[in-house]
Amino acid sequence: MLSHATARDWLIPYADGMLASDEGSRIDSHINGCAACAAELQEVRELNLLLVTLPPAPPVAFAPFWLKLQATLPQRRQLRLPTFGRYRRLGLAFAMAAILALAAATAALAAPSALPDSPLYPVKQLEESVHLAIVPSSAKLPLQMQLAAERLREAKAMAVGHKPLLAAHSLRAFGVIVNEASTALTHPADPRVVSEDLRRLHTSLDEVERVNVSRNEDDAAIKELVASDLDEIDRIEQSGASTTGSPLILGTGTETTPQPTQPTPRPTPRPTPRPTPTDEGEQHAHRG
Amino acid sequence: MAQPDVPSPEGDAEERRLIDRSATGDQEAFRQLVLRHHRLVINVAFRALGELSLAEDVAQDVFIKVYKALPTYRHDKPFKHWLHRVAANAVTDALRRRRPVVSLDGMEQPPASGVSDPQDVAARHDLQRAVRHAIANLPPHYRDTISLQAFGELSYDEIARTLDIPLGTVMSRLNGAKRLLRERLGDLVQPWEEANTA
Repeated sequence: MLSHATARDWLIPYADGMLASDEGSRIDSHINGCAACAAELQEVRELNLLLVTLPPAPPVAFAPFWLKLQATLPQRRQLRLPTFGRYRRLGLAFAMAAILALAAATAALAAPSALPDSPLYPVKQLEESVHLAIVPSSAKLPLQMQLAAERLREAKAMAVGHKPLLAAHSLRAFGVIVNEASTALTHPADPRVVSEDLRRLHTSLDEVERVNVSRNEDDAAIKELVASDLDEIDRIEQSGASTTGSPLILGTGTETTPQPTQPTPRPTPRPTPRPTPTDEGEQHAHRG
Repeated sequence: MAQPDVPSPEGDAEERRLIDRSATGDQEAFRQLVLRHHRLVINVAFRALGELSLAEDVAQDVFIKVYKALPTYRHDKPFKHWLHRVAANAVTDALRRRRPVVSLDGMEQPPASGVSDPQDVAARHDLQRAVRHAIANLPPHYRDTISLQAFGELSYDEIARTLDIPLGTVMSRLNGAKRLLRERLGDLVQPWEEANTA
């Protein structure tokens, strides 16, 4: 027999339909003999009715909502730069000219190798964006591969330096570059070059993960991003293989001769070596 | 006990791509992310505040917070749950900041309903405002939990996953929250019932 106190505790989940059927039956039988609980249940149901009848919003046009939001979104590349809100227009122009001149001068020397924790990093990003925008289409893929490799160099350096957020940011940027280049990668003009590029990226990703797991506070976000990026590279190499008839990645670093009549066996996606069985299992879970 | 989240396949992969691109500053990707979820956020805010322009302002704040926080977002929790949590915090802040308004000042919009009697509409409107006010003044752990149920329309299980708390804790918090609400709303609940059965 359900006690009165327990029945009272169960009334709200009962009214919300959260009790198992046998528990519900016990509440039912208690309520049949308890006027106080029956009245309380009625009040709970009335309150629930009020809560669920709060009306939804009328339709809202997306375009004006987005335009207003976009106008107030912070510019990521400007977040690290000083703000000039207090300056008047002329002062702002001079200040920006000075910053640009300074950036241009320093960028030539230091920006290309700047890491995400460097004050010069926004200059590097700007320089890369400009480079990508003006590069001829025939040279775009090599540049994208170069930038992807640079993101992994940054990610590794940040992981070594115990800066997991910056490492994760570089890994995300790597994923974006590879994603944008995926069409060109799966239909390459020179499959041999692409396969070599992908192999290098694969190796670099493995290195980032090795650095990550070697730290005491192995970072889950980095692990997950590396696994996701490895998956993307696997997907590209498989798509490339089906398009070109030969694998894009030379898993062992040796060259493979295309077999026109028999498809070349694809290397089974292998887990990155992990120091402990536990870590390996975790990685399988992420990549699976 | 909160259950582990099971990532769904293709839809989540596309959303994940949008999140990663947004985190690197790609505003077009973020536009697509907002397009997917703005209705949810505006609905939560509108249910909480009862005024469309205010709900839109709160929704704007929510997405700005989301945009700023995306670089730290981890994919170990569904984006929708994370968004619900940010939205719930924003609307409860807005509810607490908001000065009480009287029903005839035209600030709050009358609820959409099939009830045509102006007296019934006004009575329901007053009740809804009283409920919002009562929720806003609950202790934070009760308020955060019941906001997800009342404004976000989440199930017990979804609330547990959103707040990262066990299911039993959700039950006890909703129990406590609803008991307090009944005490504070008092007789207001009864006329609502009568109005509906009349």
